[in-house]
Amino acid sequence: MKERITVDSIEQIKERIYNLVLDSQRGLRNCHHIDIRIEASESKFAMAQKGAPKESGEESRMSLGVRVIAGDVFRATGYFGSHLGLPDLRNIEKIIQKGIEHAWRRALANASWKAEMKRVLDSIGESIQSTSLEVIEIHKDIVALDFKEDPRAIPLQTIIKEAVGVSESVEKLYESLGYNMIYLYTTFVRELFVSSEGVLIDQTYPLTEGFAHIVLGDESHYDHLGAKCGWEAIYGENPFNRNFRDFAIGLAKETIELSKAEVLPSTSKEVVVVTDPHFNALLAHEIIGHPVEADRALKMETAYAGRSWLFRGFIENQIGKRVASDLVTAYSDASLTGYGQYKYDSEGVRAKKVVHIDRGIFRGFLNSRETAAILGEEPNGAMRATDAYLIPLIRMTNTVIAPGNRNPEDIIKEIDDGYYLVSHRTPSIGESRENFSISARRVYKIKNGELVKLYRSGGITSDSRDYLMKVDAVGNDFLIIPMPNCGKGSPMQALRVGNGGPTMRSRARLT
Amino acid sequence: MVAIEDLRKCVKDGLQFVKSQKDVRDAEIFASWNDQVTVRINYTSDIPCNGVQEPKNISGYGVGVLVVFDTSDTIKIGFGSDTGDLTLEGLERALDKARRGAVSDPDFKSLPFSSDESPKLTSYHDKSIMELEDEEMVSLGWRALKGALMTFKESGYKRSLIVGGDVTILKEKMAIANTQGIDDYDESTALMSSITAMVEEKDSKGTGWTTATHLDKFKPEESGEMAARSAISTIGGKRIESGKYNVVFGRQAVATLFSEMIVSALSLSSIDSGNSPFVGKLGEKVASDTVSIYDDGARAGEIGSKKITCEGLTTGRTDLIEKGRLVGFLTNHYYSKKYESNVRKFIPRNGFRFGGGRDFRQSASIFATNIVIEGTREVTSEKLISRIKNGIYIGRLWYLYPVHGLARADFTGTVIGDSYIIRNGKLGEPLKPNTVRISDNFVKLLQNIKGISKEKKSTITWGSEEVVIAPEIAVKEINLENVAEFVESL
Repeated sequence: MKERITVDSIEQIKERIYNLVLDSQRGLRNCHHIDIRIEASESKFAMAQKGAPKESGEESRMSLGVRVIAGDVFRATGYFGSHLGLPDLRNIEKIIQKGIEHAWRRALANASWKAEMKRVLDSIGESIQSTSLEVIEIHKDIVALDFKEDPRAIPLQTIIKEAVGVSESVEKLYESLGYNMIYLYTTFVRELFVSSEGVLIDQTYPLTEGFAHIVLGDESHYDHLGAKCGWEAIYGENPFNRNFRDFAIGLAKETIELSKAEVLPSTSKEVVVVTDPHFNALLAHEIIGHPVEADRALKMETAYAGRSWLFRGFIENQIGKRVASDLVTAYSDASLTGYGQYKYDSEGVRAKKVVHIDRGIFRGFLNSRETAAILGEEPNGAMRATDAYLIPLIRMTNTVIAPGNRNPEDIIKEIDDGYYLVSHRTPSIGESRENFSISARRVYKIKNGELVKLYRSGGITSDSRDYLMKVDAVGNDFLIIPMPNCGKGSPMQALRVGNGGPTMRSRARLT
Repeated sequence: MVAIEDLRKCVKDGLQFVKSQKDVRDAEIFASWNDQVTVRINYTSDIPCNGVQEPKNISGYGVGVLVVFDTSDTIKIGFGSDTGDLTLEGLERALDKARRGAVSDPDFKSLPFSSDESPKLTSYHDKSIMELEDEEMVSLGWRALKGALMTFKESGYKRSLIVGGDVTILKEKMAIANTQGIDDYDESTALMSSITAMVEEKDSKGTGWTTATHLDKFKPEESGEMAARSAISTIGGKRIESGKYNVVFGRQAVATLFSEMIVSALSLSSIDSGNSPFVGKLGEKVASDTVSIYDDGARAGEIGSKKITCEGLTTGRTDLIEKGRLVGFLTNHYYSKKYESNVRKFIPRNGFRFGGGRDFRQSASIFATNIVIEGTREVTSEKLISRIKNGIYIGRLWYLYPVHGLARADFTGTVIGDSYIIRNGKLGEPLKPNTVRISDNFVKLLQNIKGISKEKKSTITWGSEEVVIAPEIAVKEINLENVAEFVESL
């Protein structure tokens, strides 16, 4: 095997980078902070369509991200990001020094503009201030997630064979009248974080996932199974406890069944709706997870991902106020098993469990060091980047609605007239997350406690607070779903996060 | 920065090397360098802020190889890439990956081949952007912010202000050579500024944007001024009752409708998967006969334009909908060959590797470039609005998705700014942001187009790669719903 980048490459360079960062900060004028992120990964994938192989490959990649805070009267940030290759690894000190210098020059220029704009703008410029990071505990740590089947050891041919085999099995179900795409991916990732404050975090994790996309007529469905573990995820060690083949075949059978179902009629008035854990994973993501990101609350995402109705300002906000029925508790916890599982974030902060809604009362946000300083809070370790060349943003971890104490079957049996929504599909959410529309894969009519009819192409819409306030039953079941593509930032970053919840009952309009 | 000569040498030497391998039947070598600079703006008058939040970039270069291998019983196709190394050593690593990942794809017909068609664009990039200094890139962001804040200041607004958005600069260089005679290169630059401004306590929101291919034509402050002016003019927004309305979609809203849904539905890969409402509709009437839509990757002066595609083919115009009839699809070489027949050819003008530039780490898939929307009898903006008489002007849409799958064409989203109530043929009171949900069907929308404005503007939306040369479009009977009244009592 020719020389190449591997996750072990980080082992060779981490102490050198640690010393380089400490030295660089001392050597640069008005430089107050440097942090460096390096990520290396070794990945394999295969894709098949309609029973035929389409693409496969294996890749090892490395990337670099630099943040510098510098300035004289005012402090400001500058960043640098780059993809790295083997020649860069051989000259890593030089490459990082170049990145630090660019970021430092950008930070100094940015700081000079702050001073100039404050002068030009008078009172309107008062809010422009020095960049400040909340103080954190300094950690030096090595973290490695456990796994059984190392993604690096799985032969690419095994992955191709599995993808083609699953695709063939699905194809047989609808006698070539439809379309299916099967995609399998397994990776081993190592992330290094080093800062001029003395933080050195070295985290390693595997991740394996499978995607299935099925189209039959105008009915198309897409679902995803995955876990932060090795190849064993494909054979059942995942949140669904199903092997990927059964998962994809199940989705195809659902699509066939749904293609024969009636389209759900929308309603102009609210109806009773029961939603399952898969649906509520997306609900938790959209109407709880996103509005509790402190950068949204502080209007930093106004042009992109949007604001949060939970925080109008330091005086007008929902902290300590009722935003849901007392049956609803929601939190983020990076220590739970799921896509949002990690020990330290991309600022080197140890992740903490953050309770957002405690029995209906809103309690607080996921934050970064900078937003924690503005809000006067302790950093809770929610800054993450999709890759080291991208800047970290405040992201969900495993953000979930807590289970209740009701048997899910009883929640349905109590309903004379209502609907049961199973599995989430596509969301559309108001800019400040105050209103939502989420479609479901399957919608059942409930009559006298029984599921009597299946509909397709349906969903619910409601104002977010109204929906949460009307929750009158929460199940004792609970599932954390892997969410593969949470989009945020500019350039857009698609990040894997975990979301989940129990069966719930509330009221909403059908769409 | 990597010189274009180095990229050209890499693909030329690389092709010779790969061709010399015993098991190689055909090969394509693609090398590129990209630097995507983003200066993100975040100003809040009532919350401590940085003004310019992040001056940042993502750079990278390398080589990607697409290889057709001969095996004992069939051909196999593989793709591999290597980062940061344009030497034969890097190429060998990429070739190894291509060989290990090669599969027998029954739909693969050939690599793209050269034609006599000459590119329309040559030397259309700005060298000064390629060499932009760190200090200069930071200043472009502050100029956009200054444009907005000075507009607010001069109009007497000092409190509850938000200005966000970014200035983005794309620097791209690529070279390509293959065994079918393609040997070409391209260099392009693009500048974009997209700003959102709010007077939050007044529930008003405005959008401003500008684009250019050359630095001396780029005026980021204009995008800030435009956003602030729109925010000021939408102060005092009102709610509307739920119902069906005649609507004029503004340029940002039009760009969102196309970028989020309609462009995807017009891609041959969506037709291939059956996931488009246009499956089986080629030649049929799918839209109002007043509307024509085409993609043009060679349109002079547009930031979506390129000399050649990432398959080395000449860019140009692809007609998609002509006077309401579906006449074509966006495609790359792979799908054009898969669907070629004796009576129908799809010209592959849209095989790109977009993703923060022209990404050597992926093979070419289908991307739009400049989507142009034209009407048969275009009218001025004022006339378009006057034709509606009573209705809604929707300036900007948000989180617009096909909720029941692309093939069904049902969509929903919310109206978040730059919007007005149309009364007696004129713009009346502003529409309050975040109070209206739009839920409809985009095929029905295309069929219900009643008019298109003459004035068009190159428009980009968050997260999209293509540019929409967007007019304002009048459409009858759109479902709008009054939402989120609870927010007013918080």
